[in-house]
Parts: sequence; C-alpha cells; structure tokens
Amino acid sequence: MIELTNVTKRFDALTAVNNISLTVPQGEVLGVLGPNGAGKTTLFKLIAGFLKPDSGYIRPSGFDWPTIGYKPERLLFPNQLKVRQYLEMVASLSNLSGVEAKKRVDESLERVNMTQAADKKIDDCSKGMRQRLGLAQTLIGSPALLLLDEPSNGLDPEGQNEICRQIQNLHSQGKTILLASHQLTEVTRVCTSLLILNNGKIHYQNQMEGALAERPYATIRVDRDLDDLAPVLMSLHPEIEVEGNEVILNKESMRLRRQILSIIISGGYDILKVEQNRVTLAEIYAEATR
Amino acid sequence: MIQRILTLTLYLFRSLLFSLSGLLYFMLTLAFYIVFLDPRQHTPDVDYYILVLGLFGMALTFLVTLTVAARANQSIHYPLIVRLQSRVEYLTAVMLTALTFAFAIQVIVAIVALILNGPDLTFRQFVEIPPLWIAANILFSVLALHASDLVTAGWSRVYVYGVLLFLLYGRGNAGTVMGWLAGIFSGLGNSMLSRNWVDLGSGLFQFSNWLNDTAAKLLGDMLGLVFWPFSAVADATINGAFSRTQSLAPAIMLLYATILFLLAADFLATKDLYLTE
Repeated sequence: MIELTNVTKRFDALTAVNNISLTVPQGEVLGVLGPNGAGKTTLFKLIAGFLKPDSGYIRPSGFDWPTIGYKPERLLFPNQLKVRQYLEMVASLSNLSGVEAKKRVDESLERVNMTQAADKKIDDCSKGMRQRLGLAQTLIGSPALLLLDEPSNGLDPEGQNEICRQIQNLHSQGKTILLASHQLTEVTRVCTSLLILNNGKIHYQNQMEGALAERPYATIRVDRDLDDLAPVLMSLHPEIEVEGNEVILNKESMRLRRQILSIIISGGYDILKVEQNRVTLAEIYAEATR
Repeated sequence: MIQRILTLTLYLFRSLLFSLSGLLYFMLTLAFYIVFLDPRQHTPDVDYYILVLGLFGMALTFLVTLTVAARANQSIHYPLIVRLQSRVEYLTAVMLTALTFAFAIQVIVAIVALILNGPDLTFRQFVEIPPLWIAANILFSVLALHASDLVTAGWSRVYVYGVLLFLLYGRGNAGTVMGWLAGIFSGLGNSMLSRNWVDLGSGLFQFSNWLNDTAAKLLGDMLGLVFWPFSAVADATINGAFSRTQSLAPAIMLLYATILFLLAADFLATKDLYLTE
C-alpha cells in the first residue's frame, strides 16, 4: 500500500501537485490520467523519492526493499552498454549477484520478449525495444511498487498490446502499479482504478469498474426530427434530452424507455436504433479536465 | 550497500574511461608531464617531485570529480538511483570513481617520472607520499562535489565557497580587516568625544586599539590554523622530514574532508533531484 496525505509540491509560482491525498492498496493498478503538465510525472517523482513534498507526507508501507521500480517518461539509457549488461547492473543494485542475478535478468528479458536482444547494444535498440527494456528493468528484484510513466508512448498497436499484456501479467502477480498514460484504451484495459489530475489537483478518482458503470444512458434514434414530440418527451423526466432525431435517456430505467418508445411509435415515427450505452473513459476524462 | 556502491563506481569509471572527457584527461596529463617533468631536463628535487605531483593530483581530482558528478547528474540514472537505499551511496560512488581515476593517472605519471629521470627517493619518503597525496585528493574531491550541480542545493555552493574565500582572504589580510573595523570604532569614538561623552568615546578608542593589535593577531592565528595542514605538508616536504605534529596534517585534511562530505551528503539527501536530460 502507498499512502499520500495532503501532498503539495510547488515550483516557484507553479503548484504542480496541490494537496493530494491518495491511498493505493496493494495489488491495485492505478491509471493516472491528465493533460500534459497536470502533475503526473511530478507525482511519480514524489513517490519515487526524487522530489520532496513541500507539505504533506508519502508513506509506502508493507514493502520490502527494493521498494520501487521506476520507468521514466523519457527512455534514456546508457547507450554504450548492452541490454544484458544494463539489466545486470540494475540486478546488482538490487543486491542480486551471481547465478541469482543472471536468473532474474533472464526472467525479465523473457517476460518482455527481449531474450533475443540480450546482447544487443542499447544504442542499436528500436524505440519499442527501449520501451520493453524500460519495463524489464523495473521488474528486476521484484519491487512491490512499479511506477510506469507512459510505458507505451510511441509504440505501434502491437507494441502497445504487448505492454498491456505485461502489465496485466504483473497485476496477476499482485504488484501495485501506478501507470501514467495518455492511451485511454490501455488504461481502460489494464487499470483497476482511475485517477485524473488537472492543474495538480485530483479531478476524478474511482474504481475503473465503478467509473465505467457510472451514468448509463440509452440513445433512441428515429427516422426524422422530433421537434413536435420534444416537449412531451422532455416533460417525462429531467434526464431526458432531445437532439434532432435522437432521444437520450441519461438514466437506467426500463420504464422510462418503454414510455418514450410508446410515445414515439404512437406519434408515427419509425425507430431506427435503440442503444444502451455506458460512459466511456474518454467522456470521463473530457469532463474531468474541462 | 558495498555491492551497490562498487557496481555504480565500476559503471561510472568505465563510462568516464571510454568517453571524450576521459581522453581529454589523458591528454592533459601528457601536457602536464611534458611541461613539469620533462625527462630531457635536469632531475627534479624530491620536494619538487612530491609537491608538483601532489598539486597535479589535487587539481586533477577536482576536475575529474566535477566531470563524474556532471555525468552522474543525467536523467538516465533515475532508474538506478531509485534502487538505492540512500542517495549517499550514489555520492560515495561518484567520489570513489573520481578518486580512483585521478589517483591512477597520478600514480602512472609518478612512476613514469620516477623511472625516466626521477629523484632518488628513500624508503621513508616513498612511504610518506601516498597518505599525503590521497588525503589532499580526497579533500579536493569533496570540495569539487560542493561545486557540482549534483550536490548543490539552492545557494549551497555560494555559501561553501564564500566561507572558503573568506577564510583565504582573512588569513592573509586579518590586519587589514581588523584595521578597517578599528577605523570605524575609532571614528565612532571621535564622534562621542565631540559630544562630550568622554567615557564612551575613550572606551571605543580602547576597543579600536584592541582590534588593531590583539584581535588582528588572534584572527590571523585562527585563520592560519585552518590552513595549517597545507603549510605543514609543504614545510615538511621541503625540509625532507615530518615532525610528529606535521605528520598529523593528512589526518586533519581527512577530517575536513569528512565534515565537507557529511555536508554534501546532507545537501544531496534532502534536495529535489533534477537530473539533466
């Protein structure tokens, strides 16, 4: 578990993280979303211990050292080293040595499908390979908390899928993961909870399942504009909107839906489509960062 | 902890050795050797050999520490630093790398100079050299850490070097500083006397005289004491033998280095770490 209590970080006049309180239970995959400059990287650097909070405190608890595996946003490595050399160095910094270190390095290379590239110079690695190397280094020594700052940034769809699979795999092993990303599909797919930051503040926080189950709505589309029926339909319930040839019911109510359909049919309209929708992450994000 | 420090040291050492900066240091060493220890010229005296190579080692250590600290201050090291239990491990690795690199070069030059046209060193002199050079190198390495972006926190380097400059200036100019202060109090005394505050005026005159005589000497002695290890080493080297008191000089240098290292460790441990990209 990691706990942040009233954490604030300022850079001169800019408050990058503003009074954030947050608890991430063990085994959770928290997706951290937000526009550029929202405070995601600063939050990660605070948790990793690179920055000191101006106020508040951060308490990782129940983790054995090495506590944290960190993949920074930008993929910079000592290019003169080979992939294996770099991972062996990380293993050594995690107090692994000899056969054990080699075993862990091989395991992490295998996990990110980089066994073939083990003896390649980092300088010769593609962007995708660097992303996977970034992930591989976080896995060495089995840190309980992983901070992944945009792990699939710049990858092709196949590469993104692979990173998602890796994160799901890590989640199944009980790792606590904080994932900052601009890839909403990735976050929807792998995260168990969601945090949206904007201007250093938490604008939205929920379990992923709860977030996506929120605000269900139905759309009914008919063959022509509903101008004449609009007042009648909207008087049924305040959560009913009429836009052109569409009726939107912002509520999960079969009774209301039946009532709307009955009015439309008796009004002589043809029904083209009835769709039950749930709010998407993109909509939650757009609303939270508006 | 030892494993982590050694791993980082080895990594930083390799990256320096095979870098352009590393090559530049070898070229710098060659230039130094040609200028100061040219074997075609007359054989250097023992004190010249010890002091010139000692000064070279100090300067080289200072520069190499700055280079290693700058390289360690790059953002490629975030994933490595997060693995450490303490940032002090990182600082130690930076310092060890610089010391090893600079001392290795210093020793190579010393051996080459000794073999090609060096002075005849007695066994005692030979044994006395390493502690002198190492102590001075360590002190200059720590001083360089305070000048680096890696360690500097806020205005810390200005404060550290400001104090150092004050001590250096005060050592040679204690009389001038105290004379200036004495002048102010003397002026104040005159002003008091002109208002018929005789007791206060004469008190200020006495204080001004004390500043001019006793305090100036006291301050000069105190500041001289701070730099005593350096003058002790130079004197002993020139005289060809260390007295019992002078042999403490390297230990006092190490004491200074320890205090400054603790200060550097505190700066690094408590600062926000912004590594450059």
